[in-house]
Amino acid sequence: MASRRRMLLKVIILGDSGVGKTSLMNQYVNRKFSNQYKATIGADFLTKEIQFEDRLFTLQIWDTAGQERFQSLGVAFYRGADCCVLVHDVNVMKSFESLSNWREEFLIQASPSDPENFPFVVLGNKIDVDGGNSRVVSEKKAKAWCASKGNIPYFETSAKEGFNVEAAFECIAKNALKNEPEEEMYIPDTIDVARERQQKSSGCEC
Amino acid sequence: MHETDIHDLSDDADYAAASKQFECLGGEVKGYWFRGSSSVTRSDSSKKSSSSDPEDAQIVYLKDNVTIHPTQYATERISGRLKLIKQGSSLYMTWIPYKGQSSNPRLSEKDKNLYTIRAVPFSDIQSIRRHTPTIGWQYVIVVLSSGLAFPPLYFYSGGVREFLATVKQHVLIVRSSEDANVFLVNNFQDPLQRTLSSLELPRSLANGTPSSSFRGSPSDNNNQERLDTVTTSEDNHSGSGQLNIRQRQKTHDPARDLSIQVLEKFSLVTRFARETTSQLFRDNLVDGHGHGQSQSQSQSQSQSQGERRRNNWASKDHQPLEMAPIDDPIVPKLVPVPSDPIEFDKLSLVWGKPRQHPLGVEEWSSFLDYEGRIMDPDALKKRIFYGGVEHNLRKEVWAFLLGYYSYDSTYAERQYVVSVKTAEYMTIKNQWQSISPEQAKRFTKFRERRGLIEKDVVRTDRSLSFYEGDDNPNVRLLHDILLTYSFYNFDLGYCQGMSDLLSPILFIMQDESEAFWCFVSLMERLGPNFNRDQNGMHSQLFALSKLVELLDSPLHNYFKQNDCLNYFFCFRWILIQFKRQVEFEYDKTLRLWEVLWTHYLSEHLHLYVCIAILKRHRGKIMGEEMDFDTLLKFINELSGQIELDPVLRDAEALCVCAGENGAASIPPGTPPALPIPEASIYQQQDDEVL
Ligand SMILES: Nc1nc2c(ncn2[C@@H]2O[C@H](COP(=O)(O)OP(=O)(O)O)[C@@H](O)[C@H]2O)c(=O)[nH]1
Ligand SMILES: [Mg+2]
Repeated sequence: MASRRRMLLKVIILGDSGVGKTSLMNQYVNRKFSNQYKATIGADFLTKEIQFEDRLFTLQIWDTAGQERFQSLGVAFYRGADCCVLVHDVNVMKSFESLSNWREEFLIQASPSDPENFPFVVLGNKIDVDGGNSRVVSEKKAKAWCASKGNIPYFETSAKEGFNVEAAFECIAKNALKNEPEEEMYIPDTIDVARERQQKSSGCEC
Repeated sequence: MHETDIHDLSDDADYAAASKQFECLGGEVKGYWFRGSSSVTRSDSSKKSSSSDPEDAQIVYLKDNVTIHPTQYATERISGRLKLIKQGSSLYMTWIPYKGQSSNPRLSEKDKNLYTIRAVPFSDIQSIRRHTPTIGWQYVIVVLSSGLAFPPLYFYSGGVREFLATVKQHVLIVRSSEDANVFLVNNFQDPLQRTLSSLELPRSLANGTPSSSFRGSPSDNNNQERLDTVTTSEDNHSGSGQLNIRQRQKTHDPARDLSIQVLEKFSLVTRFARETTSQLFRDNLVDGHGHGQSQSQSQSQSQSQGERRRNNWASKDHQPLEMAPIDDPIVPKLVPVPSDPIEFDKLSLVWGKPRQHPLGVEEWSSFLDYEGRIMDPDALKKRIFYGGVEHNLRKEVWAFLLGYYSYDSTYAERQYVVSVKTAEYMTIKNQWQSISPEQAKRFTKFRERRGLIEKDVVRTDRSLSFYEGDDNPNVRLLHDILLTYSFYNFDLGYCQGMSDLLSPILFIMQDESEAFWCFVSLMERLGPNFNRDQNGMHSQLFALSKLVELLDSPLHNYFKQNDCLNYFFCFRWILIQFKRQVEFEYDKTLRLWEVLWTHYLSEHLHLYVCIAILKRHRGKIMGEEMDFDTLLKFINELSGQIELDPVLRDAEALCVCAGENGAASIPPGTPPALPIPEASIYQQQDDEVL
């Protein structure tokens, strides 16, 4: 079980409904784009075998419903994630503005051991639309946000045309891999911290 | 007081105010802290708790007129005194009903003892849910780590804030990230784990059915022991008191006796299930649907198709259909699987009655009187339950099943309803149609809603010829109806999944206004599934876990051991009523829905359908030791190997088998049951208790 866990890299894709999460995942895993994907209900994942420095890994990519209302489900799905991908539609300002919320929501629900250094990757999707004429989120703006959140890597993609998708997921996989050993190291630490807090709080007399 | 930022509750205005107020009151509060109070050590303490060192016990919070509502009847409310007691570093909560206060002769001291909370340590408490409704009293629900919950405690004299403020001073509490009204207690070890277990709670109960509380079954001996402490007392050690109250309440209000020890019922379950099963089995033998061969015989080549199918379900290690993973190169390792408890003596599973052909035009007309009234709605529902409806009749029949037409309406009345409702629909539709682009610019909520709907209708059932192709007018209708609905029910708005529910309805009704009103009726039942707090979903997933525990405890134990008890893998099934499951094609979906809508046998047949499908795959699920991820994937990808009719028969049998215990596992107000109107609870307010 433990060895299997190590081989598995868990990636969560988050972002507003309709930004192209399902399409990106399918483009990367199956190399195809369809206009017929249904709105995601609940959660699902696809897996892809990847090779990195002579080792084989299984990338498990989780796709969840984008509406805020379903966020309470996150707890069950975000657990054990190695990397979180935040997607926005470069043609929809609101989807970009939601990124902060998605990031925070993820950190709360997944409660990774080291939230400061947890790897995120941001994708600005649908750059193909209207030859870029309907674009409202500039590359500069997106990059500035990424820089402000601890230098999150940023990619501009088109799930429809398959543009930059492979490169983006390569980066995602690498980041997930970086996260993996750390996670195990940090577990005991967390427990200690928790114990300390417990003592503090129960020792408190007002 | 130590605080780390994650425990900071100061973002809550109420909470901050309460803490302040409490600090100001500091001196006063200390005034009524008293040491070694006789009430603490003598009458209030349980054998397990504070009595060992009375000098140490302090009452840090005391509130009178804290009341529970075992039923919706005002005369059966029990008032008492709530206390928080500090002993050493532990905090305890007690709630002791007043003696002899009740004017109601039916409320015996025994009944009161049943609800008494005797010194529950906060280490056993998982969360506290606060409710501050605008009308009615504030109340809290205290949920134990075991998943059991005490009945809602109504603060007739206020004081929820101080209560929480006091708790906060002595115990680590963290606000739940999912619900600002939930405070997680002792959440330091594994926040994630704790939150997860909080999802197992019956949310709908917590949110507005104060007349009852739901108690799950104990998961281990400790809980049992602690519960005993809570529910029994010196003068009432027997379960008979509990049995008593249960039976009594059942006679006067069968639907609401959840407040009593469901726990106790669960202990009877195994035996009950066996007895029912054998009973059903015998019945089946009698009317020729069962078969009495031994297993080896029944596996012989001569068996009928039906028998073979049944047997596939019955013997968990003989499921050729399920054993073919589509593109999994690894041969799954199979481990021994505990047998299905509903298999009776290995012979056969109980099946529901054989399915009938769908209701046709001629038979349909026999249900109508000369003016078009349905003479016997129950007979009609039963008929549809067992066979569904022929396609060309659906438009008419669905309007009844969904409640758009009433069963006792005449042809003429229905015609009238249609014209009135069409006009009404147009009025509501006009509300958003008249929003100008200028106005829309300043109406973010409208634009967001419209955007969501636009995105979803173009991804809804587009492979169906009815919705296929560019600029399909029916896709436009989906959009218009959903947007109109989001104005009709502005509070609920639009939520993903709704387009999936509307699509078959529009496909059948072929009329914008009628589809809208049928959808409205459906959403009356399923609306809570789409609520912001996901209440309806949580209560169904909770009920599902209770039903599986009841009907297949080995499978339940397996889910428990594998962290699958949240049943999120059934989320999609329930939210869109199995529509996306590939095993049910569109036509099958229509059939399944009309059967579910009859509410014959149970409003919650869909939960039994979930279990029927899970049970069909239990061998594979446990044999391959699926973990949560694998199980979710497996269920999302279940392919067309299952036929609808056998699943429905299984579901029927399971529903019958679960009987009253099944119904008791489902919290009141769980969709598609209509929500319990909160107003009616307060209407019966009784001045004397105030
Ligand atoms: N033009 C274009 N359309 C896209 C792209 N990615 C997704 N879409 C479309 O956007 C809509 C929503 O995509 P989907 O992947 O379902 O979004 P999700 O809700 O985030 O999963 C669908 O109609 C897709 O066909 C893209 O890169 N370019
Ligand atoms: Mg999606």
